[in-house]
Amino acid sequence: MITRYLLAPLRCLVFVALAAAGFLTFLLWIAAAITIVAYQPALWLLRAEARLQRTLIRRWTGVVIDAPVRVIPEPERRPDGWYVHGTQLFKHRWFPAYLREMEHLSEDKGFVREVNWLFVGFATGLLPLIPLAAITAGILLRPYGLVLTAAGLLAGPALLRAYAWIANASLRPPAGVSWSRRGFFGWINTRNSAAWHGAGLAGLSLAALVGFLGTVLAGLVSWTILVIPVAGIITRPGVEFYRRIVGQWTGVEIAEPYRPYPGPPRPDSDGRYRVGRNLYSDRQKAIRGQRYGWIRSDAATYRDLAWMATSWLPGLPTFVPAVLIGAGFFGLVWQVLWWAVWFIPSYPFMHTWVSPWYMWDLLQQAVPALKAVPDWASVPCGLAISFVGILLAKPLLALKVRYDRALLEPTRSAELARRVTALTESRADAVDEQAAELRRIERDLHDGAQARLIAVGLSLATVDQLMESDPTAARAMLAQARETSSAALTELRQLVRGIHPPVLSERGLVDAVRAIALDCPVRVDVTADLPGRPPAPVESAAYFAACEALANACRHASASQVRVDIRYDAGQLSLVVTDDGHGGADPASGSGLAGMRRRLGTFDGVLTVVSPVGGPTEVRVEIPCALSSPKTSIS
Amino acid sequence: MRVVLAEDLYLLRDGLVRLLEAHQLTVVAAVQSGPELAEALRSYKPDVSIVDVRLPPTYTDEGLQVALAARIQTPGLPVLVLSQHVEQLYARELLADGAGGIGYLLKDRVLDADQFLDAVRRVAAGGTALDPEVVARLVTARGPLSRLTPREREVLELMAQGRSNAAIGQRLFLSESAVGKHTASIFTKLDLPPSDDDNRRVLAVLAYLNG
Repeated sequence: MITRYLLAPLRCLVFVALAAAGFLTFLLWIAAAITIVAYQPALWLLRAEARLQRTLIRRWTGVVIDAPVRVIPEPERRPDGWYVHGTQLFKHRWFPAYLREMEHLSEDKGFVREVNWLFVGFATGLLPLIPLAAITAGILLRPYGLVLTAAGLLAGPALLRAYAWIANASLRPPAGVSWSRRGFFGWINTRNSAAWHGAGLAGLSLAALVGFLGTVLAGLVSWTILVIPVAGIITRPGVEFYRRIVGQWTGVEIAEPYRPYPGPPRPDSDGRYRVGRNLYSDRQKAIRGQRYGWIRSDAATYRDLAWMATSWLPGLPTFVPAVLIGAGFFGLVWQVLWWAVWFIPSYPFMHTWVSPWYMWDLLQQAVPALKAVPDWASVPCGLAISFVGILLAKPLLALKVRYDRALLEPTRSAELARRVTALTESRADAVDEQAAELRRIERDLHDGAQARLIAVGLSLATVDQLMESDPTAARAMLAQARETSSAALTELRQLVRGIHPPVLSERGLVDAVRAIALDCPVRVDVTADLPGRPPAPVESAAYFAACEALANACRHASASQVRVDIRYDAGQLSLVVTDDGHGGADPASGSGLAGMRRRLGTFDGVLTVVSPVGGPTEVRVEIPCALSSPKTSIS
Repeated sequence: MRVVLAEDLYLLRDGLVRLLEAHQLTVVAAVQSGPELAEALRSYKPDVSIVDVRLPPTYTDEGLQVALAARIQTPGLPVLVLSQHVEQLYARELLADGAGGIGYLLKDRVLDADQFLDAVRRVAAGGTALDPEVVARLVTARGPLSRLTPREREVLELMAQGRSNAAIGQRLFLSESAVGKHTASIFTKLDLPPSDDDNRRVLAVLAYLNG
């Protein structure tokens, strides 16, 4: 008990040191991030620091802080020994592991909390400093000061606990919606990020302008204006990147406007490739020539170029909110803080005095009229300025995005062209699918029922001969014929089930799904709201999709409960299969899911699979269709 | 015994009539559509009716619907449903009222005349006759049944097909008292109160599965 009080000041000392070290590590990390030098060691140091604080807090105060940082998975390794990150291959492990770490940390809220915690260390570190200061002061101010020393000793454990409490509050994952996403702070937060995203988009637009000017310059130098559309080959990926970024930052998805690639040219009967008015004997050259024509004749290329040339104009105003927030909040409001950070450590070397209000001083030099205003007024002024930035952020960003959409979205004719290609593809798929299905049925009938019926016929012919001479053998033969015919019936039944299950035609989609749900080895709850029956082909496609999804849930996901929901809403039939299995299904790799997608494509149906590792998995099928007669089934 | 038969395929209907009459059953009406069946059930009040699931005019589950409707008016009206395919879903619907007198068989079973006639008589007597295929699916399904031993499962399957303890014993080469022990154990494991009546027990099992 007494040791606890005696140890408390020492422990406080450790925390003060750690808080100071944490703050310094934070500064080091920022510096490393800006200069990209030694980023990894700085990051490692940062995380080790946070880990150490957590461990000591747990050991000394008993406060357990949930480890908020996620475990970062190992980089994926291919069978040939190379490491994969995205679409890139790496020979050694460290670089993809590093990229993966960056990716995870940038998404990890726990890491952000750790960084914030270390950043406020210089303030929270004051708390354990109190007993230390009291004890030291008490010793220096003997004899009356000993009261202070005693108070410092007594308050030690309580202040340690207070420190642990603050650490816990800032490091643990928040329960429910974090305060920074709700109410006034949420309001500020969304506008603040709109301001920085707007600045980011404006920056990208400026980069696009540079690209455009480079293209024009190349055109002028080479004395041919033709080079400009060729540049589309180079500029297109940049514009595509911009479209993606707009989607990520603002939630406004801009569809791709380009005409679909016509596919590599095919040789004519003379073995040469015809591309437009040119003949090529070399395939590579033909592809290059075709690519040029494909990009040059696409109106979207010119719209891209027009966007590159002009989008910086609506981009300039979107810089304003970020500048206002940056100058107002991080400049005027925070200047004293920054001043403490850089001026005090550098004072011993500089020996000159700089005012804590240095930003305000600079402003006063630029605008002499401000000299009459006292220095401290810079804080409210800064707040006001940044608030103006906050107010402007959303409207200006919306304006910019509207301009981008006007030029970057597909025109009506481009949309139609894409639709035609999609339809051609899905029609070809449908025809292939159908042909394959018919072949399968033919084979099943030929090898199965048909062969068995021949066997029955043969048996009966033999019975005909044996009837008189050997009735016992004839009877055995008859029994065999009956068995064979019953096997044929079983086979036919299974075949019919695969083509068009009888329950589906008898009862419709909902009851058919209920029927397979009953045959599933796990519990399946089916809920439905279907006021009529969809057209038969749609019904069948949805049914087989449900079968596939249920089979996957039972077979691969080791689920213990599956929910199926079927409903019709706004001209769409939707079927959602959710399981509580281990997830991690990849719709790109599963042949079943790919087949399902092809089958649904014929009806403009959409299949979405959401399956994070650890589950739950949700398979959603949506098919636009009309419903016919009201439902007749009882259930 | 007076039978109403509903089957739309002429050959099968004719064959069934011959088969039944050859075994001293009286076919009072052999109809080929849903509305006719409803009418025949109303006017003849047969001892048992044999009904195909899929009937004109809709060629969906007309026969099943008519049979279910008739059983609502006359609870326990014995119906043997025949179909090209068997579904747990339909079995559950048929058994849902718990009144017994229900059969549900694949059409293939007609080929084995003795067993088929046995099933017809069982249903007429208010018992049940479920197709082994549908029973197998009911029993392999999840739930409390996973607690049963393989032997108990076998007993339950045969019980669900509507067989008596003696018949089950004969099938599994067990004494009747051994079967009795198994059934008692099944009911304990499924939390069902024991009862003397075979069919009630089956219905209880199925009702349990339904719940």
